[in-house]
Amino acid sequence: MGAPLPPKEANLFKLIVKSYETKQYKKGLKAADAILKKFPDHGETLSMRGLTLNCMDRKPEAYELVRLGLKNDLKSHVCWHVYGLLYRSDREYREAIKCYRNALRIDPDNIEILRDLSLLQAQMRDLAGFVETRQQLLSLKPSHRMNWIGFAVSQHLNSNASKAIDILEAYEGTLEEDYPPDNERCEHGEMLLYKISLLEECGLLEKAILELHKKESKIVDKLSYKEVEASLLVKLNRLHGGEKLYRVLLSMNPDNYRYYEGLQKCVGLYSQNGQYSSDEIDQLDSLYKSLGQQYTWSSAVKRIPLDFLEDVKFQNAADNYIRPLLTKGVPSLFSDLSPLYDHPSKADILEKLLLDLEESIKTTGGYPGRSDKEPPSTLMWTLFYLAQHYDRRGLYDVALAKIDEALQHTPTVIDLYSVKSKILKHGGDFTAAAEMADEARCMDLADRYVNSQCVKRMLQADQVPLAEKTAVLFTKDGDQHNNLHDMQCMWYELACGESYFRQGDLGRALKKFLAVEKHYADITEDQFDFHSYCLRKMTLRSYIEMLRFQDRLHAQDYFRKAAVGAIKCYIKLYDSPSKSSTEEEDELAKLPASQKKKLRQKQRKAEARAKKEAEVKSEEANVGGVSKPGKRQVKPVDPDPHGEKLLQTEDPLMEAGKYLKLLQKHSSDFLETHLLSFEVNMRKKKILLALQALKQLQRLDPGNPDAHRSLLKFFHKVASMPAPATDGEKLISEVVEAERPTFSHLLGKSLMEANTVFLEQHKDSLLHRAAVAEMIYCLGQNKGDAVKLIEESPNNVVYSNGSHGSVREWKLKDCVAVHKILGTVFNDNDAATRWKIRCAEYFPYSTYFEGQRSSTHASKKDSKQTHPENGSIESHPSNAKIENTKALKDLAI
Amino acid sequence: MGAGRAASISLDGVRDKNLMQLKKLNSVLFPVRYNEKYYADVLASGEFTKLAYYSDICVGSIACRLEKKEGGAVRVYIMTLGVLAPYRGLGIGTKLLEHVLDLSSKQSNIGEIYLHVQTNNEDAINFYKKFGFEITETIQNYYTNITPPDCYVVTKYIGQSELKK
Repeated sequence: MGAPLPPKEANLFKLIVKSYETKQYKKGLKAADAILKKFPDHGETLSMRGLTLNCMDRKPEAYELVRLGLKNDLKSHVCWHVYGLLYRSDREYREAIKCYRNALRIDPDNIEILRDLSLLQAQMRDLAGFVETRQQLLSLKPSHRMNWIGFAVSQHLNSNASKAIDILEAYEGTLEEDYPPDNERCEHGEMLLYKISLLEECGLLEKAILELHKKESKIVDKLSYKEVEASLLVKLNRLHGGEKLYRVLLSMNPDNYRYYEGLQKCVGLYSQNGQYSSDEIDQLDSLYKSLGQQYTWSSAVKRIPLDFLEDVKFQNAADNYIRPLLTKGVPSLFSDLSPLYDHPSKADILEKLLLDLEESIKTTGGYPGRSDKEPPSTLMWTLFYLAQHYDRRGLYDVALAKIDEALQHTPTVIDLYSVKSKILKHGGDFTAAAEMADEARCMDLADRYVNSQCVKRMLQADQVPLAEKTAVLFTKDGDQHNNLHDMQCMWYELACGESYFRQGDLGRALKKFLAVEKHYADITEDQFDFHSYCLRKMTLRSYIEMLRFQDRLHAQDYFRKAAVGAIKCYIKLYDSPSKSSTEEEDELAKLPASQKKKLRQKQRKAEARAKKEAEVKSEEANVGGVSKPGKRQVKPVDPDPHGEKLLQTEDPLMEAGKYLKLLQKHSSDFLETHLLSFEVNMRKKKILLALQALKQLQRLDPGNPDAHRSLLKFFHKVASMPAPATDGEKLISEVVEAERPTFSHLLGKSLMEANTVFLEQHKDSLLHRAAVAEMIYCLGQNKGDAVKLIEESPNNVVYSNGSHGSVREWKLKDCVAVHKILGTVFNDNDAATRWKIRCAEYFPYSTYFEGQRSSTHASKKDSKQTHPENGSIESHPSNAKIENTKALKDLAI
Repeated sequence: MGAGRAASISLDGVRDKNLMQLKKLNSVLFPVRYNEKYYADVLASGEFTKLAYYSDICVGSIACRLEKKEGGAVRVYIMTLGVLAPYRGLGIGTKLLEHVLDLSSKQSNIGEIYLHVQTNNEDAINFYKKFGFEITETIQNYYTNITPPDCYVVTKYIGQSELKK
């Protein structure tokens, strides 16, 4: 340490520290300046001055001062600690850990530093280090409850649950008999439940249940107590006790599906995949019938039997289930029942059931076999259900007819418009779907959900500016971009990014995808505060659950979509780098002079506008910053709002690699991860990594058309490479040769033979045929044959519904993909056109194929203009002159 | 007639957030496309314009215009009253009209409520008569696009005005 300060300055130094802790930064600065006047090189003071400035938004100065302070006093633990705090405030946890370690080398027993270090170790999952630090804290201060708990948790996280139990028991040993006092009963109870969960985790079930019973009076959370007990009883195979307990739990909450599951387990009527013998079904049926009599208000008890019942029994149960809900008007009925559509026979039964109800209500006004009339809304809800039913079955014509009938019956129900929008979307008419969603939105301008749904449809129809305008209606300050970003509104950013990607605006697309990635980084970051909070509050079970959730965070759907999107952008960017400014100039030169002028003017205006906006924003930011110093940090203006800088990246594949790594780590069971890995690594010429991706694809789904395509491309490419020159290259080619036989497709076959065999295996599938055709072409065979192979693909009827028409095998999405292959891979415009005409037949609502009933079809566009949607008489001299004519004819009571 | 099970009927005001509901109703109920003035009057009439909900479905409406006369008196003009066809005969129209009558009787400066009805619309005329309305005037050639083109003015006097009469 540097020379100690004289008493007066030493006191001033204490004042700096205190001012820092109490956030009186100005006062702290003053004191620091007073010391530095006399001792301008005093390291600790320089450091503290830096730390204080850091809190006053003067980051560069802060770093400079802290580093200078450290340089002047390398032996000071204070200087190292401060340096660590500085890094921590910038989320540079690895660097911070290093600083703390240095500080501890000088002052090994400094509790404050040890505690800070332990938080960082928990955050970074440096579990061995975490255990070590926690142990040290406990031995330094065993009187502190938190130190016992912290040590136990660290052992648990470090996969040593039994050690954790020992520690907790030792801790309990230090407590008095009458512990806990009234104000700590909840915390103590939580600790006990945590300990029991540890026992359960270690498989010490008997001990766990004994402990549970022994401590019953000290456990405050009675519901958890019962749930844990019930689950332990099941695991211990003490089913009789378990059954009794689950019945108790059900009487407390008869809508908790887990209790029903537990009860089924206890009575020996549970199967993971929901398959039961007819005998078991009978038993389940009577079990739920008796439960249903007990819990008449429960909807779960009525809904669950629909999952296991079959045939006539299913039909009766479904009938009983559906009728009251249609009468009541439950818009979510279809989504409630939609899992049943995984069984085609149940879907058939439901269809017949609903059609019978419709028929009966239309003819008699009531349900079949009932004399009392249904309210008028029942017919509308029945039609509403049927529309969704036919939508689900792919019969869009019938679905639209049903929804239109419902709309005619009651044109004021918003759900009808939403469902119509959805049907149009499924049919492939995104423009009409967006229009319909907008109509739904207009009917209740205070409903955020319909607003959001409309925004999503607009984005699917690539109407980004309109979507932004609509989204902004529900953001608070009207500055929608930052606001939606601050709210971590990821569905919006993803849909927006995907739309930009479709439109080829890679910069903006990347911007959106990376924003989602940023949210995930923030969520990871957000756990930091809980490392100390949860230990203090003793919410240990939730804490562990939260940590495990965080460990799997990047496996989430939204993250995967964002990462996939970003990687695709980077691949596209690599394949066709953005135009440099000179190229743009060249293109400009080709334009006629008048256009050139216009374009230039436009550009200039746009630039000026952007500049002005940025200025205004930064001014606002400055004003905010001055008025509220240190309180709320005003975000700096985004210097790259349209992602143009992202496009300037030197090495797009390296950028892609960052996200690929996260996908490989967290989503290794997704085919797409390895397809992308293959694409990226082939471009990087990383042969072995590409091979690894192929092996993963082989593991996941060797019959997948994209996996097949990648496999053949790879070996074709490898064969065409020049003979290996260096040792490294030789090694690689040897590995590839040695690995080739592990792909059973290729065993003893040429690539062409493998391609033919693959075709034989999957000759009825469109996508497989397309992949084979692409490979025929790629392997240098006849292009005509390849195109013919695609064009001769059969589109079989998979589901026929008599007069209502039939559904064919091909999916719209796949047909669009094939159309793109024909256009871009084969460069065969004639074939692409033929394909489009053919698909327009299959998908009459598709805007992509300009089907006859889509809004892109020429005839449709014309007819729209002649039929205004509302009213037939356009205007009338005086308002409201004709009224009550039609409406009141039937109104006489 | 009517549903066996009782369904709740409730009324709600018209605001710019749900104005579209009224527009949808009018587009199917009446052969007229109402102009902006109509909807401005609607929003200005406050409690005198209501949407009727039948188990949470919007199925009908009453829309009034408040006409200020000299001396602070107000006349209520019922611009539209209608219920979707499948939901008629359930007492919804009555409930809407009673709401306006009730409201008018509580406001001392309201002396009369009136509306126009096509002369051949007997159902409507009978309906209003039940609530104490009477035919006070006939206007020839009121309508331009429908036959008969004549209409009645149907009026109900309330409060002091009634005494005067």
